[in-house]
Amino acid sequence: MSSALIWTLVGLGLGVLVVRRRSLAVALVTAQALVLVGVALDEAESGGDVLAAGALAVRAIVLAGLFLLLVSRTRAVRPVRARVAPLARAGVAVAFALALTWLVPAIGLVSRDAERGVLALVAFGISTAALRRATLFQIIGIVLVENALALAALQLPGGASVAIELGVALDLILVTVVAVVFYERIFAAFGTADSAALRALRD
Amino acid sequence: MTSREYPALALIALPALATVLLLFAPTSLVQGLARLAALPTAALALTLTVLALHASAEPVIGDWLVVDVAGGLLVGVIGVVGLASVLVSPAYLGAGTDSLVSPERRQRIYYATLYLFWAILLAVPLVGNLGAAWLLVEATTAASALLVGFSGHARALEAGWKYLVLTSLGLGVALLGIVMLAAGIPTAGLGGLSWQALSTYSSGSETALIAYLLLLAGLAAKIGWAPVHNWLPDAHSEAPPPVSALLSAALLPAVLLVAWRSQHALAPVVGEHTAQTVLIVFGLASLTVAVPFLWRSLPWKRLLAYSSLEHMGVIALGIAFGTPLALAGVAIHIVAHAVAKALGFYAATPLLSHDPLAGEHAVTGIGRSKPALGTTMGISLAALAGLPPSPLFVSEVLIVAGGFQAGHPWAASATALLLALGFLGLAHALIETTAGDSPPRRQGSIAGLRGVTALTCVSVVLLLSLVAAAVVLPGSDLVDALVRGLS
Repeated sequence: MSSALIWTLVGLGLGVLVVRRRSLAVALVTAQALVLVGVALDEAESGGDVLAAGALAVRAIVLAGLFLLLVSRTRAVRPVRARVAPLARAGVAVAFALALTWLVPAIGLVSRDAERGVLALVAFGISTAALRRATLFQIIGIVLVENALALAALQLPGGASVAIELGVALDLILVTVVAVVFYERIFAAFGTADSAALRALRD
Repeated sequence: MTSREYPALALIALPALATVLLLFAPTSLVQGLARLAALPTAALALTLTVLALHASAEPVIGDWLVVDVAGGLLVGVIGVVGLASVLVSPAYLGAGTDSLVSPERRQRIYYATLYLFWAILLAVPLVGNLGAAWLLVEATTAASALLVGFSGHARALEAGWKYLVLTSLGLGVALLGIVMLAAGIPTAGLGGLSWQALSTYSSGSETALIAYLLLLAGLAAKIGWAPVHNWLPDAHSEAPPPVSALLSAALLPAVLLVAWRSQHALAPVVGEHTAQTVLIVFGLASLTVAVPFLWRSLPWKRLLAYSSLEHMGVIALGIAFGTPLALAGVAIHIVAHAVAKALGFYAATPLLSHDPLAGEHAVTGIGRSKPALGTTMGISLAALAGLPPSPLFVSEVLIVAGGFQAGHPWAASATALLLALGFLGLAHALIETTAGDSPPRRQGSIAGLRGVTALTCVSVVLLLSLVAAAVVLPGSDLVDALVRGLS
């Protein structure tokens, strides 16, 4: 896998962190997943590898469908304001990614660029969940982290277990389906998709 | 296949099959079917426990499946708590009508999701592979989050959302640790992540340590260890009481077993002392965070949730100390905590029927207004506080003694001090809950009180039996098997 492709994936991840519109974030995270599908198919050496790539593709399409359905069913009067401005978000996330790269010297993947890309995407995913107030972005943050881990699985020297890859894809779809149920109910109960409204439970 | 592998596979298949049947059975049969399937599931779980304990010297160890003493104990705990949760569920479902789903599908979705959660939980202690264990733990998140928010109330939705997001992110971090481990293990594929293969990691101790830290930090988010415990008090307090019992008494220790197996497998790679220190830090942090909350006047289920944080910390310390005394304490602690905590959560259904505001403020004087309910709550709280003759008192003494035996006098002393402070907080709550001032409350019949009273009698017998077991357990073959683990 070329370095340019890895940094394209990282760029798409950073885009998710800074864009304002939910539909654009869904498009970026889906594009990221589809790039991973392409890489998986390109590097496939056995029927199992093709099956794992197929699972990644199904995952990408199902999640995109769920997210877009959710966006269309929960149109807010005004978009939820993030608690941190886009440039500041990007700054915090990049600093987090650099810190993670410094703290984790080697993962054991086939190239150092792949390792940096994985760590940067994990940092962007966690930052998205932490810094965006819109609840949909918190789910997308989880998907970003899972995309990072899919990249890591593709760049393992001996390849990852197909069973584990299929399981991870299935788990992510399950978690997202449950998150979508919650999202709709939260929107109905609180009248907003702003996670700042979820503050009743404090000690 | 051995005589233990068949029941192990049947144990996972039975509740999974029940889940499917519950989804398609006629509505009138759903509750009966749920009760009917619970009995053989629990019986099978206990059978497997007996078989695992009986053959403690010869555990079944494969890439997919393991049946050992630790797993056997956990399976028994999950089986019994699951059975009790199914049996007390009609009282919960009958007490209200609110839910995430439409009223006509409410009962069916509740039982199907509960069974799915139970089936996955039963599989976690039996799985022979870190990668597959991660998949199961992540799958519990989807099923249990639905159950946490099942009432559909605003607070339950908030708790379920926090639980889903925080634990999913945490497990993402754990998966990064697993990928790092997979990269350094010569055996490719699924077998490379079997518990025994983990010790063959060969990409350097520094990378192994980071992978271990990521794995433990991620699992900590699911176990509810401080400082990544934020979801725990919310989810445990807002979930339906039968689900809270499963979350606290079964889910937390099941995920803790995954952390225990990982620690045991990776200790030769990252260093015994380092592997222990990480668990000691999580254990002491959990105790330190929990104790101030045990001193506060909290709603009943929230108090029990913070008690879970305390007890998961104690178990982490016992595993870290790793001596025969400490591990004997861990075994007793896991079982006794499950019995006492599940009983406490089951008491919440009649409590909320008796005092509908009990979900939002600390309750006092229940022993005066409803003696039977006060007795149940008192027994649960006394046992959890470690008030002698509670088996949790004996297990805590064993764990602290094990800490001194392992050469961790400062950690053992800090544990003893924090446990004493926690005891004082819970003892105060015990007195206030049972014998404090009793405001005017609703009189008349209370939903689920008879069932909970019957469970109290069973729990008292179990707790006293555990005291006896705690006396004979140290020095036994079972403890030797726990010390050996899967090596």
